[in-house]
Amino acid sequence: MDLKDELRSIAGNHVFSAKEEIIPFLSDASYFTGDEPIAVVVPGTAEEVSKIMAVCSRTETPVVVRGGGTSLTGASVLKGNGIVISMNRFDHVLETSVEDKYVVAEPGVRLDELNYHLEQFGHFYPPDPASSRAATVGGSLSTNAGGLRAAMYGTTKNWVLGMEVVMPDGQVLQFGGKTLKRTSGYDLTSLMVGAEGTLGIITKAILKIWPLPETKGRAVAYYKSIESVGEAVSELKRLGITPMIAEFLDRLTMNSITRNKGLKFPQDAEYMLIIDVASTRESVERELSGAADVLKKFGPIEVTTTTDSGEMEVMYEARKGAYASLLTERERSTQRVVIGDIVVPASKLADTLKESIEKMKELGIHSGLVGHVGDGNIHANIYADLEDEDEMERVEKFQREFGAIAIRHQGSVSAEHGIGMEKMDLLIDEFEGKHSLGTLELMKKIKRVFDPGDILNRGKLLRR
Amino acid sequence: MIDARLLESLDNATKDCISCGFCESVCPTLPASDYDLSRGARGRVLLGRALYKDLKEKGATEVNVADSFYSCLDCFACVHVCPAGVNAGEVSDIAKEIITATGSPLESQKKNVATMIVNSTMKYGNPLGLRKKAASWSEGLEFDGSSKTLLYTGNMYQLMPFSKSMGAMKAKLGNRAAERIAGYFKSHPQFIKLSGMFQDRTTREEMENSLRNIYALLRKSGADFNYLGEKEPYPGTFLYDLGYMEEFKEYANTVADLFRSEGVRRIITIDPHTHNVLKNNYPGVVKNFDFEIVYYLDLLDNKMFEPGEEDIEYHEPCYFTLREPVYREPEKTLSLAGNVHKPRRSGKNNFCCGGPSELLYPELAHSVSERRREQLEAGRGRRVVTACPICYANLNRDRDVTDIANYLSEHIKG
Repeated sequence: MDLKDELRSIAGNHVFSAKEEIIPFLSDASYFTGDEPIAVVVPGTAEEVSKIMAVCSRTETPVVVRGGGTSLTGASVLKGNGIVISMNRFDHVLETSVEDKYVVAEPGVRLDELNYHLEQFGHFYPPDPASSRAATVGGSLSTNAGGLRAAMYGTTKNWVLGMEVVMPDGQVLQFGGKTLKRTSGYDLTSLMVGAEGTLGIITKAILKIWPLPETKGRAVAYYKSIESVGEAVSELKRLGITPMIAEFLDRLTMNSITRNKGLKFPQDAEYMLIIDVASTRESVERELSGAADVLKKFGPIEVTTTTDSGEMEVMYEARKGAYASLLTERERSTQRVVIGDIVVPASKLADTLKESIEKMKELGIHSGLVGHVGDGNIHANIYADLEDEDEMERVEKFQREFGAIAIRHQGSVSAEHGIGMEKMDLLIDEFEGKHSLGTLELMKKIKRVFDPGDILNRGKLLRR
Repeated sequence: MIDARLLESLDNATKDCISCGFCESVCPTLPASDYDLSRGARGRVLLGRALYKDLKEKGATEVNVADSFYSCLDCFACVHVCPAGVNAGEVSDIAKEIITATGSPLESQKKNVATMIVNSTMKYGNPLGLRKKAASWSEGLEFDGSSKTLLYTGNMYQLMPFSKSMGAMKAKLGNRAAERIAGYFKSHPQFIKLSGMFQDRTTREEMENSLRNIYALLRKSGADFNYLGEKEPYPGTFLYDLGYMEEFKEYANTVADLFRSEGVRRIITIDPHTHNVLKNNYPGVVKNFDFEIVYYLDLLDNKMFEPGEEDIEYHEPCYFTLREPVYREPEKTLSLAGNVHKPRRSGKNNFCCGGPSELLYPELAHSVSERRREQLEAGRGRRVVTACPICYANLNRDRDVTDIANYLSEHIKG
């Protein structure tokens, strides 16, 4: 029996191998194109995944696991030989416990669907990457996704309590559990978060949930200098004000939002800083005014506050859709918007932003700058023509330099998009910068323990 | 050889895709196909891109793209979430046109069932050659033969009992057997009339009841109009939807000529598909198509309805919500006679009933409609109301759905 027949004996007609069935699996949201898999399997149960992995382990067939296919670093397309396992059929929310503050979801559940479900219980799951409409639980766990609300709630790793995992040899294991705390040996749940499908296949996730905030308020400030943005955020942090959202946008991004969403901004503003506070009805005004007072200290052009939920939602969606707005302004269809994604400690934001802008100018990079600055995360939304070798070379150089700036300021080359195929060299840069290449060697050893045949997501995350 | 204009259209429709997957998250056929990505919106755009490259570079393709594009419901949910403005529905339309174009290198990918319907429409002016049966609802009703206003049913309500049975039969036979039978029928269209034996009788009664109610609502509102009876042709919507543009152009001109010869100036449409094809597609292929197209709900005297307290769950037709301009009259009129609720997937996030796939992919259509039913049942309304015969026929599995005309007729004062 050949591999495809073996897979069919497990997953029936949920095995695709015709060219037309395979083509859609060659792309994700990154600018990488994958290699053609021998087959794509869409299993429906952990038992099927287990049997598939046992076959792949025995036949030494590499496997890429795919969720919503929204990876920005090429983590969900195949490199080299192998098969793709799509987890889309795992699309059920299995259990919700408001009392114990958890939800059990399958990995193919899309994040917006999960939150729609939780809203009925007055709760939510805070990680909110801009792709939450399409991104799945499994994919966002594997990337350790962040989002706007990470300023207050942290990233995905703070919200995962446990999971069911199918190991490369087919074993089905349980990591963590349903309790909010536990000290029971090595924290394998945490190890799986951000592992980009290189260690095991998540078939079930136990996620912490939280009551929806009673109310929210927003302060918006416009500045002429990037330093003011960085200093304002650092000062908020220093004073112990933890915003739920702290976002900044540059003029290029504001202009594209104006053109695409019709929102207006002060003409002479170069940067916009959005600060959301989540609180009780009694204290939201006080907290909002405290945040506004801080913003006023750094020479703003204008500071406004609001508690109007409709007004806030419009801007939240516009910010979340900033990438989309920038996309509509591509000069050529061969252009993509490649997203740089670094993070630094909040106190280093002002210097990091300034140096990043200088580097963009030096290399002739056309980019919008936005960021979840509440947690020091900066995105450079770079226009890059995939068919212009010279431009791509400059973009790659900038990405390397952007990472170097982050490393210099004790940050990281990847805040929330992962490493995938895109940042494997940058990851080495990061640990070289820390004089700790041994950390990468340790990661490789861990990978070998979990996946001795190196069949899971080969060619991603760690250079061989 | 493929027409350069078509190739350019395919290029333009696909080149901006960044493969973010947002369209997949709203595409009804993706979950309904158990996540076969080639049956989802992103897959269609990526396949469209691959098709463009193959045709441009090699003038042919080895990729069997037909099922991907034909299974598209054309609901246009995808375009409303696409950050790059790509419309997978439009990509499917162009690809279908490429497949069906004369001398297409994709000739072998044509669907027999589609060709059968096209041949029958061209020959009989009705996809199933059933014009006599299509007019039977009007027996005993009076029409104003001198009126320049025409009540044009487009045969859509009348076709539902047959397409439902044929879809069920196709599902039972399986795709291969159905294609073989359709392959025979497409060369012998005279036998297509046998399909008249396979009708869902209850659906036929319900559909004829709706038609009579539409007639009565219009008459109560003071409208006078003519009706062509057995002469009334089908508008050719399938020809357009299946990509047979050359045939559609020829057919639409025949229909327009008939309207002209009957002295028609104003056409009252009664279903979203017919309304759309006359309003938006005919002007592109018929010179001086200057008829006034008006939807029947616009002509109703709203004062005749008794305010009602019933909670109803309104399923919007995709053509009225996901395409521009949005047409809100059904919801407004329903609100006069009941408390209108809508499921979460409504408006620009509307979820199709699955109906447009009923003939070619009945299992897929069933799966989409099951999902939609679940969404409607989760709503606050106690009764589901539809405003399109295709939606009605596909969602009404347990005889628990009401057509808007029937609902409104129940709520007439006095």
